[in-house]
Amino acid sequence: MIQGAAVPDFRYPSARIFDARVLLALWRRELLRYRRDRTQWFGGVSRTVLWLVILGYGIGSSYTNIEGYTYTQYILPGVITLNVIFASMQSAISLVWDREVGLMREILVSPAPMLSVALGKLLGGATVAVAQGTIVLLFAPLAGVELSVTRVLLAWVAMFAMGILLVSIGAIIASRMATFEGFGSISNGIVLPMYFLSGAVFPIRGIVGLGGFLVDLPWWLRAMMYVNPVTYLVDLLRGFLLDFQQLPPSLDLVLGVALPLAAALAAVAAIAQMRRSG
Amino acid sequence: MEVRPGELFGLLGPNGAGKTTIHRMLTTALLPTEGTARVAGYDVVRDGQQVRYLIGVVFQEPALDDRLTARQNLELHAVLYRIRPHWISSRVHEALVWTELADDADRRVRTFSGGMKRRLELARALLHRPSVLFLDEPTTGLDPQGRRRLWDQVAALRERGLTVFMTTQNMQEAENCDRVAIIDHGRLLVVGTAPELGASVTGRAGATLEDVFLELTGRGLRDEEATAREQLLSFARRGGELTR
Repeated sequence: MIQGAAVPDFRYPSARIFDARVLLALWRRELLRYRRDRTQWFGGVSRTVLWLVILGYGIGSSYTNIEGYTYTQYILPGVITLNVIFASMQSAISLVWDREVGLMREILVSPAPMLSVALGKLLGGATVAVAQGTIVLLFAPLAGVELSVTRVLLAWVAMFAMGILLVSIGAIIASRMATFEGFGSISNGIVLPMYFLSGAVFPIRGIVGLGGFLVDLPWWLRAMMYVNPVTYLVDLLRGFLLDFQQLPPSLDLVLGVALPLAAALAAVAAIAQMRRSG
Repeated sequence: MEVRPGELFGLLGPNGAGKTTIHRMLTTALLPTEGTARVAGYDVVRDGQQVRYLIGVVFQEPALDDRLTARQNLELHAVLYRIRPHWISSRVHEALVWTELADDADRRVRTFSGGMKRRLELARALLHRPSVLFLDEPTTGLDPQGRRRLWDQVAALRERGLTVFMTTQNMQEAENCDRVAIIDHGRLLVVGTAPELGASVTGRAGATLEDVFLELTGRGLRDEEATAREQLLSFARRGGELTR
C-alpha cells in the first residue's frame, strides 16, 4: 500500500467514458506524425507512379478498353485503394510498437477513456489514408480522369470509409500481435490479397477480349472477391470518380457504410482491451 | 509491505524477480491475479481510475512519441489527464524550464539523447501534479551527470512532499532510499532501511546493501529468455522504421 502526500477528499470522475479533447488530441497526433513522415509521402508517390503511370500505361496499351474506359482510367481508383490500404495498415501496425515501447503505455496508465483513445486512433489513421489516397488524385489528369468538386468530395467520403474499415481490421490484428516478427507476412498476406482481390486491378465481371467476347473470371476467384470487404468500397469509389460500377450501387452504399461501422466497433473493443491485459 | 507518505522507497531484485510486474500492477497497467494493492488509499483494481489521476509514471523504456516534439508530447499528456485548457501552456512551459529542455521544446524527441528523454518523461509524469511518483529503473543508461541531475530533482520533489516508489538494480542508488524492499521470484524477502538490513541479514555492522542483496538472492547469474519487447526492439533496429 502506498500512501500519497495528501489524499484529496474529492473523487475524480471515474464513470467518464468519452472525452472529446482526448479524441481530438489523438487524431491530431496521427496527423502530426504523418506530416513529418517523408518516407510515407514518398511511398505514396512512388506507388502511384509505379502502378498508375508505368503499369497503367504498360498494360493499358495491350487492352482496347474495359467497358468503355481505358485501363489507366480503370486502375486509378484501384491505385487510390492501394495507397489507402498501405496507410491504414501502417497506422494500425504502429499500435504494436506503441504498446510495447511507445506512447500507448503512457496512455494505458492515464485516466483517458479508451473509447476516445480508440476513436482518435481510427479517425486519425483514416484521415492519413485519405491524404495518401489524394496523392493519386493529383495524377488524375495524366490518367485521363476528369475531376469535379463533387467527385473529389464523394471520393474523399469513400476513401475515408475505406480507411476506417482497414485501420479497424489492422488494429484488430495488431492488438493480437506480440511482436513485429510477423509483420512481413501481414503485409504480404493481407495487403496484397486485399488489393488484388478487390477489383482494383482487374474487373469483377471479366474482360472483353479483342474479338468482343467476354472472358469470365473463374468462379472461385469471383467468390474471393465478393468475400473481400474492400471490393464494395473500390466499386463505390470507381462509381464516384468514373460513373462506372460493376456491382449494384445500392449494395455498395449499404455495405460501404455497414462494413466500416462494424469493423470500427470491433476495433474499439480490441483497442480498449489493451488496457490491463498482458 | 507498506510505503509511507513522503517516503523514497526502493524496490530491489535481480533480473526476473518481478520488479517491473509490481510496477505495472501498481500503476494499473496490469491486473493482479491475486492479492490486493492500494495506492494513495485507492484499490488498484476497484478504483483504478482514481489511482491513475494520483500517480505519475516513468517507464524503463521511454514511452514518448518520438515523432512529436517535446512540447507536443507534454501537451498530449495534459489532455489525457484533463488539465484545463488555459493552464496547459503555462504548465508545459514550467515543466520544460524545470527539466532544462526549454531550448529544445520544439525539436522532435527522436533527436534527443537518452538523458534528455528521461528528463522529458520525468517532467511529463509530474505535469498533472501527482501525489505518488513511480520510477522503473530510472537511471539505467544515464551518464553520471544525468544520474546526479535526476537524483537532485527527485530530492527536490520530496521536499514538496511527493512519495516516490522506484525499482532499481543499482545498489549505490538504493542506499539513498529511505527504505528498501528486496524481492526475488515474486516474493518479498526483506523490507527496511539499508543499515537495518545490513545488520539483521548479514549479522555484521557496516555491511552494504550489496552484501545484503547477494546474501539473499545468491550469486548465480540470471539469464532470461528474450521478452516480446526485446524481440521487438531488435526487429526495429534491423530496419523496422516503417513499423513505427
